[in-house]
Amino acid sequence: MTELNTKAGTKLITHFIAGYPDIESSYETAVGLINGGAYALEMQIPFSDPSADGPVIELACRRALEKGFKVSDGFRLIERIKEYRDIPVYLMSYSGIVYNMGIDRFTAKAAAAGVCGLIIPDLIPGADEGLYAAGRKAGIQIVPVVVPGVPDSRLEEIMAENPDWVYLALRAGITGSYTILDEVNLGFLDKVKTYGVKIMAGFGIKTPQQIKTLIPHCDAAIAGSFIVDRITSSYNDAAGRISVTEAAADAVRYLLG
Amino acid sequence: MSKYNNFFGDYGGRYVPEVLRLPLAELEAAYVEAIEDPAFMAEFKTFQTDFIGRPTPLLHAVNAGKALGGADIYIKLEGLANTGAHKINNAAGQALLAKRMGKTRVIAETGAGQHGVATASACARLGLECVIYMGTEDIRRQRPNVYWMELFGAEVRPVASGSATLKDAVNEAFRDWTSSYKNTHYLLGSALGPSPFPDMVREFQSVIGNEVKQQADFKIDAMVACVGGGSNAIGFFSPFIDLSGPRLIGAEAGGRGPGPGNNAVRMDASAKTGIVQGYKSRFLLDDDGQVLPTHSISAGLDYPGIGPQLAELGRTGRVEFVSVTDGEALAALKFFAATEGIIFAMESAHAGAAAMSIAKELGPGKKIIINMSGRGDKDIFISAAAFDGKNWKTFLLEESGRIND
Ligand SMILES: Cc1ncc(COP(=O)(O)O)c(C=O)c1O
Repeated sequence: MTELNTKAGTKLITHFIAGYPDIESSYETAVGLINGGAYALEMQIPFSDPSADGPVIELACRRALEKGFKVSDGFRLIERIKEYRDIPVYLMSYSGIVYNMGIDRFTAKAAAAGVCGLIIPDLIPGADEGLYAAGRKAGIQIVPVVVPGVPDSRLEEIMAENPDWVYLALRAGITGSYTILDEVNLGFLDKVKTYGVKIMAGFGIKTPQQIKTLIPHCDAAIAGSFIVDRITSSYNDAAGRISVTEAAADAVRYLLG
Repeated sequence: MSKYNNFFGDYGGRYVPEVLRLPLAELEAAYVEAIEDPAFMAEFKTFQTDFIGRPTPLLHAVNAGKALGGADIYIKLEGLANTGAHKINNAAGQALLAKRMGKTRVIAETGAGQHGVATASACARLGLECVIYMGTEDIRRQRPNVYWMELFGAEVRPVASGSATLKDAVNEAFRDWTSSYKNTHYLLGSALGPSPFPDMVREFQSVIGNEVKQQADFKIDAMVACVGGGSNAIGFFSPFIDLSGPRLIGAEAGGRGPGPGNNAVRMDASAKTGIVQGYKSRFLLDDDGQVLPTHSISAGLDYPGIGPQLAELGRTGRVEFVSVTDGEALAALKFFAATEGIIFAMESAHAGAAAMSIAKELGPGKKIIINMSGRGDKDIFISAAAFDGKNWKTFLLEESGRIND
């Protein structure tokens, strides 16, 4: 799958919201992201109180929930996506959702649906409610989130969980606004790389230029709010100029340059 | 009880993204150090005496007791604390701590606006920049407090996400803090959130209970407080928790009655254990774990979670919980105004209403203390509309015409 899904060796992981703008459109979004050349998908299960997310993703999650999205819809969506293409799917959500189902049960269900890894930003090593152990048991990765500024001693603690991948948020703060790539975050990427883990890096990625700058320092770039924004525009476009699938594919092609 | 517990039984903890781990660890260290530092506590004490106006009185509500024909009623008048509610106790403590930590900016959430007013006032005195997040629904309900916050120089940022009430203001404050923590302290207003907030807020509010212990020269049979997040209740109960008596009773918002979306009752079977806003406790959640909408006539009790220590004390039975409807709270407001000449905040009126039935149940010769956590000036638009809607509307229309002139 690797070569098929990457363009010129640039791996792009695309973030989208399950159930947004509605369940069918979120499936079509995933298809578009795959067709556009995404290396992997990061699917967010909406939570009512997404406190690490900025306005774009917060609103998308709220709309999905207003339309009656259920967590079980999310697992079904992943199964359908995996039928369409056997692409790596990471599942992102908050502790509230995972804890409610039971950490072990949620992890096992995700694994059964074909998820390759979980990204749960507010269950961190040392306060994970058994998430990392559950991941090992179910045979799926738990992807820790780190940010520039995390002290070395803490990085050691996180790496002690032996993650395959690390999600590197390129700046402090919430998802959404544009991130400037500078010595600080690129230097941090290089430091984390010395641990021998694979790095997916994101937060505020909106241009192909950013991705070109980023790629030599990591294994995959992640785009989130940018894609959600594109989906929103296409879905809300009364003239219906392009389908959600096309909009998603276009967004990926644009970012891959 | 230890001054820093982190967990209370299974509840509490610190469930936050990696980015907030450092600022919370820094806050924990600063708090643990300051609370044992006589110099800091002396500074806090001076603030309490000179500015807050402590100690607040413990009033023997003779008329109310007679009218009910049950236990004797006493009222701890926290509403006489400067800025109108107990919220200033915590706001002052944390603002002094922020200053000690070298922070120059403070952010806070507010529901009823009392915590926002208290924070803005403390920041004005201490020369700290101040931003208050407030749900648009609460801005509408508690408009007078918005003006006071702005008068104190704070910026009030409306929050329209989610249900546009207190919990959404908390989310927004956390969003701010994840990128601003280097110069900013998040001054959380109730005994909830990730540790060390529940412990820290209890300690800064424990002055209420400590004063009661000094002031009550009689055997207390029961103590009653309203419970939103739980800061006034836990502060009031604090010195009595490890004792076998008096009975400690928390009054939650029963709203319009039972059923999802109609109330904010977390301590009956309709709530369950969850992790929300950085802590584990009892929350109102749907079957997927999504936070349910809540309702209360009082903005300050309109919140889907309860502080972790109170959740644990409810589990052990040390604290009993009752619920009080919107209508019962309004009736209590009227009752204490008529009998004692005191206007309870709508939140505190829930404690008043609970005490009215407990006083009857306990019977004569027993003694009960209500914590009047705040006074009701801020609620004028709600109480006047409820008690005298027609005349109030006429007045508002006339008055708005006058402003246009
Ligand atoms: C007067 C008053 N009492 C009580 C509360 C509820 O908060 P807590 O349960 O933290 O005391 C508020 C909150 O705004 C309030 O303003």
